[in-house]
Amino acid sequence: MEIFLASFGFGLITAAVLAIAAVGFTLQFGVTDVLNLAFGAVMIAAAYVAYWLNQAGLDIWLGLLVASVAGAALSWLLNTVVYAPFQRRHASPIALVIVALGMTLIIEFGLQAIVGGTSVSYTMASGRTVQAGGLQLTVVQLVIMALAIAVMVCIHVLLTYTRLGKAMRATAANRPLARTCGIRSGRVINLTWLISGALCGCAGTVFAMNAGSFNATSADLFLILILAAVFLGGPGRAYGAMLGAIVIGLATEISAAYVTPSYKDVIAFLLLFVMLAWRPTGVLGAS
Amino acid sequence: MSDAVVFYTVTLIVYGVVDVIACLGLSQQFGVAGVTNFGFIIFQAAGAYTASVLSLPSDHANGGFQLYVGGLNLPFPLPWIGAAIVGGLVALPFVFLVGKRLRGDYVAIGLLVAAVMANLIVTNYRSFLNGAAGLSLVPSPLQSRLNPQSLRYQWGYAVVGILLALLTFWFCRRLTESPYGRALRAMRENDLVADSLGKNLRVLRAQMLVVGGAIAGLSGGVLVGFINLWAPSAWGYAETIVLFAAVIIGGAGNHLGAVLGAILVPLGFEEATRFVPAFGPPGLIPAFQWVAIGLLVVIFLRLRPQGILPERRRRLATPAAVSGLTTGDSLASLPLGRRPGPSHGRDRHDDVLEVRGVSREFGGVRAVDDVSFVLKEGHLTGLIGPNGAGKSTTLALLAGTVPVTGGRIVYRGQDITTMPAYQRARHGIIRTFQLASEFKRLTVLENLLSAVPDQPGESFMGAVAGRRHWRAAEKVHLADAAALLERFGLSAQSNAYAGELSGGQRRLVEIMRALMARPDLLLLDEPMAGVHPELAALIGEELLRLCSRGMTIVMVEHELSYMDRFCDPVIVMSEGRVLAEGAMTDLRRRPEVVEAYLVG
Amino acid sequence: MSADSGRASRGGASLVVHKLTDGYDGRPVVHSVDLTVLPGEIVSIVGPNGSGKSSLLKGIMGEVPIHEGRVELDGRDITGFAPEDVVRAGVGYVPQVDDVFPPLTVRENLEMGGYLLPARQVSSRIDEVVAVFPALERLLPRRAGKISGGERKMLAFGRVLMLRPSLFVLDEPTANLAPRVAAQLLDENVRRLSSSGASTLIVEQRARAVLSISDGTFVLTGGRVRMSGTPDELATDPAFVESFLGGQTRASDTGH
Repeated sequence: MEIFLASFGFGLITAAVLAIAAVGFTLQFGVTDVLNLAFGAVMIAAAYVAYWLNQAGLDIWLGLLVASVAGAALSWLLNTVVYAPFQRRHASPIALVIVALGMTLIIEFGLQAIVGGTSVSYTMASGRTVQAGGLQLTVVQLVIMALAIAVMVCIHVLLTYTRLGKAMRATAANRPLARTCGIRSGRVINLTWLISGALCGCAGTVFAMNAGSFNATSADLFLILILAAVFLGGPGRAYGAMLGAIVIGLATEISAAYVTPSYKDVIAFLLLFVMLAWRPTGVLGAS
Repeated sequence: MSDAVVFYTVTLIVYGVVDVIACLGLSQQFGVAGVTNFGFIIFQAAGAYTASVLSLPSDHANGGFQLYVGGLNLPFPLPWIGAAIVGGLVALPFVFLVGKRLRGDYVAIGLLVAAVMANLIVTNYRSFLNGAAGLSLVPSPLQSRLNPQSLRYQWGYAVVGILLALLTFWFCRRLTESPYGRALRAMRENDLVADSLGKNLRVLRAQMLVVGGAIAGLSGGVLVGFINLWAPSAWGYAETIVLFAAVIIGGAGNHLGAVLGAILVPLGFEEATRFVPAFGPPGLIPAFQWVAIGLLVVIFLRLRPQGILPERRRRLATPAAVSGLTTGDSLASLPLGRRPGPSHGRDRHDDVLEVRGVSREFGGVRAVDDVSFVLKEGHLTGLIGPNGAGKSTTLALLAGTVPVTGGRIVYRGQDITTMPAYQRARHGIIRTFQLASEFKRLTVLENLLSAVPDQPGESFMGAVAGRRHWRAAEKVHLADAAALLERFGLSAQSNAYAGELSGGQRRLVEIMRALMARPDLLLLDEPMAGVHPELAALIGEELLRLCSRGMTIVMVEHELSYMDRFCDPVIVMSEGRVLAEGAMTDLRRRPEVVEAYLVG
Repeated sequence: MSADSGRASRGGASLVVHKLTDGYDGRPVVHSVDLTVLPGEIVSIVGPNGSGKSSLLKGIMGEVPIHEGRVELDGRDITGFAPEDVVRAGVGYVPQVDDVFPPLTVRENLEMGGYLLPARQVSSRIDEVVAVFPALERLLPRRAGKISGGERKMLAFGRVLMLRPSLFVLDEPTANLAPRVAAQLLDENVRRLSSSGASTLIVEQRARAVLSISDGTFVLTGGRVRMSGTPDELATDPAFVESFLGGQTRASDTGH
């Protein structure tokens, strides 16, 4: 029971980090139609921005804020300079995936050329341990979860109640029709890159906090968890991604406790594979 | 040459050979057949590991410092053969992923993730293939009899490698430049249409995965025999991107391009950096290598997506004999016509197809609702109705492009309700599409030839057997195609890419392609839309002639004058149902038909 | 609230299409079409499938590149405007298919129709639209992907009505509808739209039905205007009767 509770706690934290990333990824894909596999690379780049500021003496939570801005800026730039020109020329989806992988190499190893191959950690107090319903969590972990919940609420409010959020959903559902409603789809898409990029930067920093130490290629495996969560919920579906994040987060950590930690990502991979083969529109999606 | 130079040169050649072989495999899969295998490196790794554990002694040897399965101590060349076989076998579990009609980018993600996971599992499961440390002291081929350190052995390895690369090139070329290769390229261009012409997509893609996997496995075997070690760090998922970069930069769909790409990208990069003076901390130069490869991929896809050596256009010489045919001749004089159907020798007015209460729902909407009719042999049946009446969906249901949600379809006495589209095509049910569906990067002639059923060179084994095996049949089909082109006035465009034609010409190509399939039952979806009226009339006449020779045709068409002239009977559909059926002159007198369709 | 209270603030606009040629990939589909809609008129375009009716509308809406010619709305040149700017100029467009946002609720669809309105006006405008199409009221919380074809079209009409455009552009609104629903849609709902005072340009396949509500009709075949006139003129024109009211079209008329 103790093992279960401990792994359940870890699962919740992984789910929290994952939810922020997966919602960002799925929004990006749903609205802009780009399957941005460089998402993990951008996460780590943003995490490094927080690291540099942290090294300069800035509090890591302020660093997180700046990292979110950096993630937004980098994602926007990535689209404007790379993806958008390809889309304007009607490049095939597979060409875009190859381009995204090329960008992954450029960002990850460009970063590695700057920061070197060794792992780094944030300077931060992990705070005291809190007992909550049998779970043992540090204050930082609790803050990460609270942050994830806050982000999910914000995304929910954005998509359901704001003009922009509805315009994003409309653009995702039917771009030509959205334009005939007077929605400037170009602007909505730019804003989507900024918002999802901010989520990406935020996710990168909390991922780095949670992992303890990180280097330029740390997010490679995490990207698989993100993909699994996104495809489980159905690509393009924000609420599906939230659900997927919880399932994948818990499944990986609990399996780590009971099987072996080295294979904890394998369960995510298997789920992703099953989804792709069985129902690529997600468990909630139409067949 | 000093020994050092020899060793360096040989190393260069062997690495080059390995990259060339691997890139040829990828070129075959991705460039020719359009299978996006982003897990390609798995297969090379499988080959390398297989060759290792087949040639290594049992893992108790050498003091048991490394753990692995196998250890069979097999003599050369068995480890290399095993490498190719296992490379091919490892492909099988992925067949279910590419066999479905799944978005190409989703397939790519599935395979990419599989590559990451395979690496993770091998790294962590030490007793399988010695985990992260990998396998070392892998024996060189024939090392018990020859000295691997000798210059002659080194040169010998290089020569054998080059021969294997040449063999692989020859093999891929033989596959690609055959009717089989044409089917693969047709599938790459438009899999839905290839399906409707009787190509079994699942089998074709599975064959490509297995063939590509075997070639990749061979390249791994050749590599590990030379470097004598193999570890997870050698086959990260990113290595696949390097190979993709090579194929894209060299020219996807052109095997010479793949060879060029292999020499430029994986080999060129590795070697170029040897001549860069070391600077910065360790790991800096490899990092720049990766960045450069990323940049190359993106820049090439942006500025020259066809690569340095683009896929070349296959110009086929048409036999001169048929040029005597004038436009006055009809198709009846051509060796065309329906294939011998199972109904041979029965009455001419047999029921060819019986549709019983067929329905199709899309998301709760009944596009086709309880439709029943019978198609008589030798009739040109018209199908009319307002937009959204369900005409195209009905054709798709008959051809099997879309499965029915209710009802039965009986074709010449056989229930084909659940038969997949490609099988129906092989039974003689051929459809055309409302939207342009030509294979864009196949020439007009190739488009036509791609539809011919039962080509001896269109199976994998037929292609392997070589040109001699299929040349005679190809000649006959070429003559048929040339005669058809002559008849419809497209001879001048024979060797043009179909994607370069005008809308009306593309329509013609599609009709001719369908005729080349020698249909028994031909389903035409608006064949005359966008076609010049004189030509449309010609098409109509030809269709009637084909019917008089026993072909059964259904034609969806909006232009009622064509219905009047060519079609009897005519089926009127509205709101997914059959509203009326009969001769056009009678239908024009029936108020409900006039109300629903003619006037609205 | 009566239908009249949805009256457009701008009234009807005139539309002048002058020698318009448009098409995809540099290949013209519509050839040098001249067409005029006077303020407050309902003008219809009829013609066989593939005659370029939809492409003509899409050219006007900025969805298909214009090769030559001019489009003027109330004297203002809107040629080559992006779709979002054509809408801002006062045109409400209902495409033939994909005319709603399926994952959004009916209310959200209407909100999207009123995207350009100041936020405080949106909900009162929804009330006005619901007054014009009362059937929408009970559908407001439902997803647009889950309502029937006729309801969907009504929603599409309601969505464009949100902005009170001065010109409605309707692309075959009765396609995929049952005949009775189609007749009702044309008779009642198109009239309701135009009762706001706006002008209407409508493409239809159901020639007779649309004739009865039109002030003027253009016949398009092969991407060119072959005939035009008032419904009365056309109804007595033998060539028109022959092609659309049950006669034969001569193949040579269908152009190339």
